[in-house]
Amino acid sequence: MSQILVITSGKGGVGKTTTTANIGVGLAMRGHKVALIDTDTGLRNLDLLLGLENRILYDLVDVTSGRVAYKKALVRHKKFENLYLLPTSQVKDKSAVNPEQLVTLCAEMKKEFDFIIIDCPAGIEQGFKTAIAAADTAIVVTMPEISAVRDADKIIGELGRADKENVKLIVNRIRPQMVEKGDMLDMGDIDEILSVACIGQVPDDENVVVATNRGEPVITMNGSTAGQAYKNIVARICGENVPFLKPQKEGFFARLKKLFGLL
Amino acid sequence: MNDIVTIKGLKYGLQLTFAKGASFDDVQANLLNKLESGDSFFIRGTTVFVPKGYFAEDQNEALRRMFHRHGMLFSTELKRPNLAPPSCDTVKTPAQKSKAKVEDAQKMMVINRTIRGGQEVKANCSVLICGNVNPGAQIIAGGSIDIRGTCRGFVHAGAFGDKTACVVADRLMPAQIRIADLIARAPDEDVKASQAERAMIRNNMIIFEPVAR
Ligand SMILES: Nc1ncnc2c1ncn2[C@@H]1O[C@H](COP(=O)(O)OP(=O)(O)OP(=O)(O)O)[C@@H](O)[C@H]1O
Ligand SMILES: [Mg+2]
Repeated sequence: MSQILVITSGKGGVGKTTTTANIGVGLAMRGHKVALIDTDTGLRNLDLLLGLENRILYDLVDVTSGRVAYKKALVRHKKFENLYLLPTSQVKDKSAVNPEQLVTLCAEMKKEFDFIIIDCPAGIEQGFKTAIAAADTAIVVTMPEISAVRDADKIIGELGRADKENVKLIVNRIRPQMVEKGDMLDMGDIDEILSVACIGQVPDDENVVVATNRGEPVITMNGSTAGQAYKNIVARICGENVPFLKPQKEGFFARLKKLFGLL
Repeated sequence: MNDIVTIKGLKYGLQLTFAKGASFDDVQANLLNKLESGDSFFIRGTTVFVPKGYFAEDQNEALRRMFHRHGMLFSTELKRPNLAPPSCDTVKTPAQKSKAKVEDAQKMMVINRTIRGGQEVKANCSVLICGNVNPGAQIIAGGSIDIRGTCRGFVHAGAFGDKTACVVADRLMPAQIRIADLIARAPDEDVKASQAERAMIRNNMIIFEPVAR
């Protein structure tokens, strides 16, 4: 049975696109047939992370508006032959694709693919509503800081409102030394607020930036901690029970309250 | 234009008074406008009181129908309505959609979920939340609020002026708490909420006391 995942966050810049690219590559490396759909209209960069920018001929809007069949717009990855990208438009605005169009498209693509992964724009506007419409699982990406966690909380609420009850969490850019010193939220703190199943804890890793610049997601780099974390996420998505890299400490109420400026 | 109808919050609902010389048609048009613009006073399930004898019987009937259409009760008797109002289950904020359950006897809205940032629960009656109230969430209740979980959001009990209302939570650390017309803000220094507490009004001040659960 094929799965449709949406990668979302609320707050921008927390690593949705990075996560989409890495999970996509990871699933393809395991032999699954994967399609990535970039719905961040006007801010295209999933193609960059995959090193596919120069191969784009058509985009999502060309497909949903009926100009071309989706198969014509798909860009096949040069190295991972099971991986395809449906790029977004650079020029059109965020309302160029509506939820029904994406649902119809995904229903058709489901016949061909094991996984369809949708990269969602930041925010909770129309673009978000379109991106989540077709998904059966939502993966919320957040970072260990108050504003990102609060936005993730809102997004989880919005997902519930849209009857998307299957929600998973990925915490990105964790810096263990800062957590250790109490300068960054730890998993216990985050779990207390969000209380949804966590499928990944990705450390802050400069290899992510190196990988981005090379157009090869970090999951392909052996020995990188973020790469290993993404491999574990992919395994969990495939239903394997992988322990987390490093057990995190329990949450401290006092610190949490200090950070939230509460009682 | 806005002064044609004055709305006053009471313990059991809203009292309407009208500008001198305002015709029934003006009043009705004004109210309809308020209802349709989603005026925050008119929470579904609220009872609206109009002074007895102010309007003719058929006019009252027209108002009653209008309020009913918007999910509100209409009365000319200034007392707690004793018919179990549909209040609790008609409050359909998207936040608690289908999951709210009514315990008519106690007029208590039960919500079995966490209320997340940006979500809002409004009820004429008391509210029991089996879940957390997260930062940025709002609970506004005509009666008391009981949270079986951690409260970090904004809570207002006794929103129509009931000073006997209280707020209870397993861990009570709201950003702001209001009971009737009193407001308490979270102190800036760190205080542990390690056990269940109740906030209520004593000597015209909001006080906190531990409770056993
Ligand atoms: N684990 C990580 N370690 C270090 N840098 C990271 C990590 N994850 C993401 N980044 C960097 O953070 C930046 C933002 O990442 P990304 O573009 O994936 O976020 P996004 O959520 O898609 O942003 P937007 O909301 O703009 O679409 C990028 O420069 C990326 O390289
Ligand atoms: Mg992005």
